Amino acid sequence: MPDAETIETTSNFILDAPPGELQDVITDIKALVGDDKDVLDAIPPAVERYNKEQLLCTKLPGGSQQVIVSEYNELPDGRYFDVGSQNSFEFDHVKQKASNVQSYVLESLNADLIKSILREVEPHVKEHYPSLPAFSVNPCSDDSSIALVIVGNKYSPSNYWNGRWRSTYVFNPADNSLTGNIQVDVHYYEDGNVRLLTNKPVQVSLSSGSAAEIVKTIAGIEKKYQEDLNRAFGALSEGAFKSLRRQLPITRQKIDWDKIGSYRLGQDIGGGRGAQR
Amino acid sequence: MSSPDPFDSALDLLRRLNPKHTANNVNALINLVPDLTEELLSSVDQPLQVQRCKKTGRDYLLCDYNRDGDSYRSPWSNEFDPPLTDGTLPSEKVRKMEVAANDAFDIYRELYYEGGVSSVYFWNLDDGFAAVSPSNKSTGSWDSIHVFEATDRARTAHYKLTSTVILNMINGDESLGEMDLSGNMTRQIEQTLPVDDDSSHIANIGKLVEDMELKMRNLLQEVYFGKAKDVVGDLRSINSLTEAQRDRSVHQEMITSMGKR
Repeated sequence: MPDAETIETTSNFILDAPPGELQDVITDIKALVGDDKDVLDAIPPAVERYNKEQLLCTKLPGGSQQVIVSEYNELPDGRYFDVGSQNSFEFDHVKQKASNVQSYVLESLNADLIKSILREVEPHVKEHYPSLPAFSVNPCSDDSSIALVIVGNKYSPSNYWNGRWRSTYVFNPADNSLTGNIQVDVHYYEDGNVRLLTNKPVQVSLSSGSAAEIVKTIAGIEKKYQEDLNRAFGALSEGAFKSLRRQLPITRQKIDWDKIGSYRLGQDIGGGRGAQR
Repeated sequence: MSSPDPFDSALDLLRRLNPKHTANNVNALINLVPDLTEELLSSVDQPLQVQRCKKTGRDYLLCDYNRDGDSYRSPWSNEFDPPLTDGTLPSEKVRKMEVAANDAFDIYRELYYEGGVSSVYFWNLDDGFAAVSPSNKSTGSWDSIHVFEATDRARTAHYKLTSTVILNMINGDESLGEMDLSGNMTRQIEQTLPVDDDSSHIANIGKLVEDMELKMRNLLQEVYFGKAKDVVGDLRSINSLTEAQRDRSVHQEMITSMGKR
């Protein structure tokens, strides 16, 4: 009989899965717990939470566009909807597959603004998200606000890396505020396991709150963030990384190991700081 | 279909889950599948804990290779903490090598890391463990872990070295938000080198470790700051893709027209 801790462990493993590697993580968990029913039962709820948090993208049967699964486009009966293609669909969270597509008509007090944002944001996504992009605009917070999410995915498991960019914004027409965050997740795992995880909170006030202004603001925020992030890579490489381990000793020469017995800490090599710490 | 080996599945899982959580994940896996305890603890590298030697006042690193029950042996004093009356100590000959290796790697550590802690443990004459862990700085941490085996032959020894570097870095401010770039990489090499006496082993292992760390430092630099950044660029393009495409076409036309001349 597994305890609450076992179930929590299983859930944590799933929520920690890198982009595009959920199925591998589930396979590993199943191999570890065998046919322990209680643990297996813990998988689907965790996967559902994972898919929504990760803004999982999927294609509708017969469709070519990617649609998103998130907390913002879930219907009360557990189906999901896509305002752009005017469809709703069933989603198998564990298999990550959509089915049973039906037509869907958006009902929202902000329907006009939502549709304008969809039109405005499409070229932005086309111009800046080269790989498996998806976006959606949905009513949220009891129809008082509008959620806009943009996702870019790139999967290259044969080269041992995968990545995902997620932008989530909530626009509140009552006070013209735009809040949200940008998250980048990159996993590299050839003879190792390296992970980049970022989170950039966004909070701005808009003046008109028009669809054009919303998208223009978002485009500006994303561009600046990506430039900041690129600079941060350079700063880490030139700063923290160099200070952790030198490429060569201060003498600019490799160690003469045959004479290592004649090196003296604190005299020949200066400083001698590490010896007694 | 045969079911996969649980140990392989555990390692695959650890290779995928956030490397920052490896220590917690190893504990969780051990609770989940207690049979894997020994295998996981001896094969998964984790950031090393530091303890101060009560006798010499010097810091040393804790790992599976200097552990006996709940006690750890200091490489500086050769004594267990908490004290053990029947703790397994290296033979006098092995201990002599271990002392020399610790002195050598202490110098290595100071030359390359300018701080931190290093420890070397031998459990057979020719098998050992060397680790360097610079004191964690606010912006990051680097742990180097080297496990080597040596097989004596006539006037030479064959060395097998497995090295892991655990490198965690964080960056962040108001404008950037949070940025965490963490992980580990492992590499192996085998090499046969000449041996005159016991001290040759220390020089040989030293050279192997020094070369390996240089290679791994370059590799880490490439993966952390090259590859990871490139992938971000693959996910989102700063420049508009139409412009990028136009630039490529212009470039292609230039090459074509130059070819025609």
